[in-house]
Amino acid sequence: MKRPLPPAGLTRLDAASVLARWVLGGFFIYMGWQKALHPEHFLTLLREYQMVQSPLALNSIAVSLPWFEIFCGLLLLAGVAVRGTALLLAAMLAVFTVVLWHRALGVQAAQAIPFCAVKFDCGCGGGPEFICAKLPENMVMFGVSVWLLAGRGRAFCALYTWPVR
Amino acid sequence: MMDDAAQAGTPACGCQLGRILREAVMVGALGVGLAFLANQLSPRGLNPFMNYSPGRAKASAGARPALTPSGASGATNASSPAALLAARLKENGLRLLDRAGVEKLFRDPRAQQDAIMFIDARDEDDYGKGHIPGAFEFYHYHPDKYLAEVLTPCQLAEQIVVYCNGGDCEDSESAALFLRDRGVPAGKLFIYGGGMTEWEAARLPVESGARNSGNLRNPAP
Repeated sequence: MKRPLPPAGLTRLDAASVLARWVLGGFFIYMGWQKALHPEHFLTLLREYQMVQSPLALNSIAVSLPWFEIFCGLLLLAGVAVRGTALLLAAMLAVFTVVLWHRALGVQAAQAIPFCAVKFDCGCGGGPEFICAKLPENMVMFGVSVWLLAGRGRAFCALYTWPVR
Repeated sequence: MMDDAAQAGTPACGCQLGRILREAVMVGALGVGLAFLANQLSPRGLNPFMNYSPGRAKASAGARPALTPSGASGATNASSPAALLAARLKENGLRLLDRAGVEKLFRDPRAQQDAIMFIDARDEDDYGKGHIPGAFEFYHYHPDKYLAEVLTPCQLAEQIVVYCNGGDCEDSESAALFLRDRGVPAGKLFIYGGGMTEWEAARLPVESGARNSGNLRNPAP
């Protein structure tokens, strides 16, 4: 038995999900642009994580990640390949959050300060931030990505699903 | 929640997930390709194949000490940040200078003839806001832009002081190593660990704008 199609008009939830898609897209464009303007600064911050030693790998991340974030942000704004993009962003945010957490624990141990007093420039594009503000922010963005991945935010999309086989 | 399958009247299934995954792979591949292209086209782009931190390989795995010596040449505590930094620089054939040492070189008459040379390893904006008077600009992330102007004076100079902002800034060290790798004798190269932050805090002369612009703050008495 076929389920009824949604009404032509936007529900509040639809409108909220589209707004969330645009906000998430705009956020990634802004953060990516901040890094793309100063890739060498981003490279320096990436080094501080001490997770990648190879200069080629480190440089590759530093030069590609900012533009990749801008690209994903543009796709979300335009509504192109929304779920594929949301999946990528969710995966990236999950990795970023774990790495941030790990780094913050290191800073906390080194400086012997409370966890929420840990503040550093994570290279996310927003400058130095308190970890207890940055982690929830990441989690909210992760939540929005998952929400979009689940099929929300499909109004005002140029090409919601990429024609893949 | 409505997905494609629901809209089409069919239940969601594994093929839906597969399609999203394929879409993600396509977006990822295209995005990475475009990202590298954008970096190539950007005037601020970096060369992925260049090692921008040549001294890094020799550095210890632990945290790098901040570039803030408390009298570098006379550091007594072997485990102090200054001593650790001096030891690391020594591994690369470089020497650390404290503010007194840099100030002495700055006031040396040979500095007027660039026999003692100062190199600012910070970016264009920072350099323009204020640098040690007469300092050359050399931002090693974009070497092609500065190398031609800097390399010959470096060969002629007797002593070269390289600095950045101080603190945990590593650009002075990287720039010095970059110059060393292009033929500038390491014995000439000194790192001013306190950097511009310490210099300005000490109210020493600062020049803004272009090199030898004459726009001086705190001019020498």
